[in-house]
Amino acid sequence: MIGTISYLVFFATTASILAIAVLGLNLQWGNTGLFNGGVVAFFGAGAYGTLILGGTPQDGHLGGYGLFYPLALLGGMAAAGVMAWIVGLLTLRLRHDYLAIATFGVAVAFENLMRNAEWLAGGAKGVRGFERPLRDALGDGFLYNIAFFITVLIILITVYLFLERLVASPFGRLLRAIREDEEAASSLGKSPSRIRLTAFITGSVILGLAGGLYGTFYAFVSPQDVLPTLTFQIWAMLIVGGAGNNRGAIFGAFLIWGAWTASGWALSRFAPVEAQLYTGSMQFVLIGVVIVGMLMWRPQGLLPERLVVSQRGSKE
Amino acid sequence: MTLLRHLAGGMGVAVGLTLMAGSALAQDCTTKIGTVLPTSVDWGRPIAETAQFAVDQVNAAGGAGGCKIEMVLRDTQVDPKVGVDAAKALVDLEGVKVLLGAVSSGVSMPILTSVTVPGGVMQMSCCSSSTAFTNLAEEGKTEGLWFRTFATTAVQSAMGAKIAQDKGYGSVAILYKNDDWGQDMARLIAADFEAVGVAVTASVAINDGQPSYRAEVTEALGTQPDALYLALYPAEGTAAVREWISLGGTQKMILANSLKSDEFRENVGLQYLGETVGTDTASPRSESADAFRAAYVERFESEPNGPGLGNSYDATMIALLAMEAAGKDASGADIAAAVRKVTDPNGTAITADTAGFTTAKEVLAGGGTVMYQGATGNVRFDANGDVSAPAVIWSFTESGTEEVEYLSLDEVDSFIASLN
Repeated sequence: MIGTISYLVFFATTASILAIAVLGLNLQWGNTGLFNGGVVAFFGAGAYGTLILGGTPQDGHLGGYGLFYPLALLGGMAAAGVMAWIVGLLTLRLRHDYLAIATFGVAVAFENLMRNAEWLAGGAKGVRGFERPLRDALGDGFLYNIAFFITVLIILITVYLFLERLVASPFGRLLRAIREDEEAASSLGKSPSRIRLTAFITGSVILGLAGGLYGTFYAFVSPQDVLPTLTFQIWAMLIVGGAGNNRGAIFGAFLIWGAWTASGWALSRFAPVEAQLYTGSMQFVLIGVVIVGMLMWRPQGLLPERLVVSQRGSKE
Repeated sequence: MTLLRHLAGGMGVAVGLTLMAGSALAQDCTTKIGTVLPTSVDWGRPIAETAQFAVDQVNAAGGAGGCKIEMVLRDTQVDPKVGVDAAKALVDLEGVKVLLGAVSSGVSMPILTSVTVPGGVMQMSCCSSSTAFTNLAEEGKTEGLWFRTFATTAVQSAMGAKIAQDKGYGSVAILYKNDDWGQDMARLIAADFEAVGVAVTASVAINDGQPSYRAEVTEALGTQPDALYLALYPAEGTAAVREWISLGGTQKMILANSLKSDEFRENVGLQYLGETVGTDTASPRSESADAFRAAYVERFESEPNGPGLGNSYDATMIALLAMEAAGKDASGADIAAAVRKVTDPNGTAITADTAGFTTAKEVLAGGGTVMYQGATGNVRFDANGDVSAPAVIWSFTESGTEEVEYLSLDEVDSFIASLN
């Protein structure tokens, strides 16, 4: 029983961290229409930034500054933000599919940089030696995982409330205006490129926050954590949950990650022994079927965007 | 070829199941062990099959710790998140005290830091090679729960240097897989070549899944080395070597054990591998290794030639022996502590099969210790959970590989010492 709870807490922690990342992407794609194909680069920048700033000294690469944890996490977010600013300046003039290709390239470049630049982040071996905050006080077991989960949950709720307010604000209206018709927005005297950049950076900082929490949770990050698979997983979560809807984003993260892990568990438990060795491949097929089915029958996602009329004409 | 092997494996599993059913009558309890391996990757599946094979043999001997052993296998998809979640599920939901896996160091490491060490579960990997584990263990952060049967890359690279020295190569170019293992290999082998006076003309990283490696191969070829050193896996190894040969590169090649595969030999062509030799740790010098080989051939109808098979078998066997030594309902730490009792150089030698396990049970029940002689020789862990191993230098033949030279554990250790 305690085992089940312990696992569920662990699962919910991972899912919540991913949900934060999906919220970040939702701001970019769902609300502003920016096709970020390099989610994993910003996620990774947050994870690497946090572990390098907050970790213990390691031979042969940068890091070991042992910063106070919240500062390290903020540093990770800042790393993601700075990267988004540079990438944004260079690529945000690109429209949808071109932006997707450019950002995807950034993500691949990021992974390769981390894999090869051993002086920077340990190369393929990754960054280790990170002491999880408050580990001395809380130990290493179940209690720690509960405390960490509650922290992540509070951060998730904070990010959600922040985004809900942001989207409901005039700024949020502006994001949607740009998404729907950029020229119309600029004809009203708005500066789409500036707003797009702001939204891109904000979303990326949230992605970096998720990455920082992810790195903290595992006390380790390596180039294997920043493969394109993660980008697709986060996109799948947003598409299934419902782009443009923050609740949908969170729901999608839990649903897809739940399906991902539950299918592995179910296959290992119920599939016949001969098929056990093929469960991995079958899992990919199952997940693929879910996503394709979703795109065919409910492309707006399970929780579609709610259309808001923020100011009724009659009241003017 | 691969498909056939998998089919044979599937049949083997079925045979094993019948065996298990037979022995299940004797016991009424079941102990689960967890396995997290990349079974969705082509070379991962045989590693898992070999682990299951060891479990079946132990069950034929009546199980370990008084209970039948059930291996619960989960796929990592080579994705750290998925692997960690699978490991956590095995520990929390299935209650395993022993976790076998993973293959990639990038997956094994987060499992170690966030699941097995916090959960007090023993983790034994067949194949993770990163030097980061040694560092972590030296810092005391593995709490003695971590072991791996994959001999540290130092043995491989030292043997590579020995070949170059023995063959009188003056200069060598290196092609290495661009991951943690490959980067470690490239760095170690370059230092070892230097130590024996062989110049390294180029050291070129090979990324996975590229359609062509012409640029990388040309870069190495341009430095006109006497020989080529390859720390690659079969898929990209085949592609790189084909280009190397077709561009007129030398057939004098030195291979790491990852290329000791039928797939590589067949796809490159034996006629181009005449002057090629490889290194491998772990040499079948004991009866138990022959027993493993014979049993493997009988079960899977092929030689155990894939990467990590012997290591996976030994990891499983040692873990189960330790479970036997620690007794029923032992904690992960107890089992980890018992590993010493079953890899004791002064203990009773036992073979790696059902009969060997039965002998071990008797010896352990009498309060003795045993020396496990496995598929990779006499496995002996140091304080960091690492193994050194005897080594073998091999070359390709029509049907597989043959041994060129055998070096005992002492010879390997003294050669490594001579490099420093």
